[in-house]
Amino acid sequence: MELGPAVERWIPPGSFVAVGGMHMTAAPMSLVRELVRREVHIHRLLTSPSASLQADLLIGAGLVSEIVSPYVGFEHLGLAPCFRRAVEGGELRVLECDEGSITHALHAGAGGLPFIPCPPGVDLTDIPAMNPELYARAMDPFTGEEGWAVRALRPDVMLLACHEADEDGNVTLDRFPFTDRVMALASKRLLVQVERVVQTAQIAVRSPGMSIPGFLVSAVVVTPGGCHPTASPGGYEADEGWLREYLQVARDPEAFGEYLARTVVDVPEAAYLELVASRRAAADGATR
Amino acid sequence: MKSGTVEATTAELMAVVMARGFRDGEVVVMGAVPALPLAACRLARALHAPALAYIVGGSGAVNPEPDALPASSCDLALARAPSVLPLTEVVLLEGRGDVLDVFCAGGLQIDAHGNCNLVSVGDWARPALRGPGTVGLPFLPAVRRSVIFTMTHDPRTFVERVDFVSGPGHPAGPTEDRPYRREGPTMVITPFASLDFEPESRRMRLVSTHPGIHEEEVRRATGFELAPGPVAETEPPSQEELAALRRVDPTGVLRR
Repeated sequence: MELGPAVERWIPPGSFVAVGGMHMTAAPMSLVRELVRREVHIHRLLTSPSASLQADLLIGAGLVSEIVSPYVGFEHLGLAPCFRRAVEGGELRVLECDEGSITHALHAGAGGLPFIPCPPGVDLTDIPAMNPELYARAMDPFTGEEGWAVRALRPDVMLLACHEADEDGNVTLDRFPFTDRVMALASKRLLVQVERVVQTAQIAVRSPGMSIPGFLVSAVVVTPGGCHPTASPGGYEADEGWLREYLQVARDPEAFGEYLARTVVDVPEAAYLELVASRRAAADGATR
Repeated sequence: MKSGTVEATTAELMAVVMARGFRDGEVVVMGAVPALPLAACRLARALHAPALAYIVGGSGAVNPEPDALPASSCDLALARAPSVLPLTEVVLLEGRGDVLDVFCAGGLQIDAHGNCNLVSVGDWARPALRGPGTVGLPFLPAVRRSVIFTMTHDPRTFVERVDFVSGPGHPAGPTEDRPYRREGPTMVITPFASLDFEPESRRMRLVSTHPGIHEEEVRRATGFELAPGPVAETEPPSQEELAALRRVDPTGVLRR
């Protein structure tokens, strides 16, 4: 499916959107950029246990009302400028959470459980008390002991980046899976961006147990290089030069606005991917 | 600092100190920005702890030996590993606790009892500084013990009490009832010093200052009163330690 129609059809304004990829690897940036171009409002954004640009860009564009994420940052490169500014300015509602609880909450969502007890440790933090919407006290019916539980997470739609898909929408997850698989299973709809389309027989053979069946996939878009500037396993590394420039520019709201117009809003995805391909070719040439 | 004729950087010294603290057979988990603890794990395996195992953050890679120390815990080079656990399964084992021995942690703030804070400085609702978030730090009391490390030793980082507990440390006193907690934080490693916790008060105390650092400098850089105790000088890296460390860090990530 084409990128624009896929986003328009499957991500209505005001949705609960989940976005995959961890740190600066396998972020579905083509889908994220298209949300920015179309100014699609996201009521609630859920991320993997560690998000970077896939959250910061949407927040910077002013599209996100509230976020469920245990981490938004750029690891060794620094803090997330738009996330920081929005939270410190009181413009973004944070549903504070931790990696363990949301991972279990996704399992609950995927398996049809209404809630699930929290793993040990969370009860000794300040997190559950800050987030009554996701955490509540519950009694263990077997021991009578009280502890925290977390509400199941069932996003309306998940955005996922994978390497390959076939014509029937079967998708490989032939990489570090992070929490992307359980997030896909918990979400009501699944939009996948891939590097390329391959023949059916190749997929299950290459990654048994690590593929996602087509019946869970709402649409596949083919955007080679589309994880840029994050990494695509089996394809390309993260573009750290680009990310460093982003972190510099995004500190200033005005400069960020210009950056967004110059690199996303005024540039159709096909043109963006061409630009990235030529940038990569130039970099490859320079290292040879 | 000198070790024979070779100079160790501060990061290299910290990796050596961390490695010495790992015991053979322990299973270590680390999070984001893994270069230093990853180097320490590989060093320990090369020297005194051949049966140590380690899991690198979000990648779930177990005992990876990448050619260069990666800056990111999700670096693709970590896939060259004898085993990879999906992150969802690392989460299961962190909750189960009894198979994991050491959690390497850090924070924007670290307090006198070893609580860590990666969430917010100031009022949570309108923070002066919004941190990235806590990720897996709530698991600290579930695993057997934790090792805290930071590249920043100053009074803004080392505070009497964190503004937000996102990674639990020791109970503040004997009256504070905290179930299932095991050894808690056992070691704190900074660019200035190596620290631990006094068993009675469970307050942080100075164990050794790194070569060239005066005890008074450490106390000034710490925003709370450290528990009393004898203070030694950190043993500088030996030739053998430094040579082994540089074999796992051939590109000099810890020398930048």
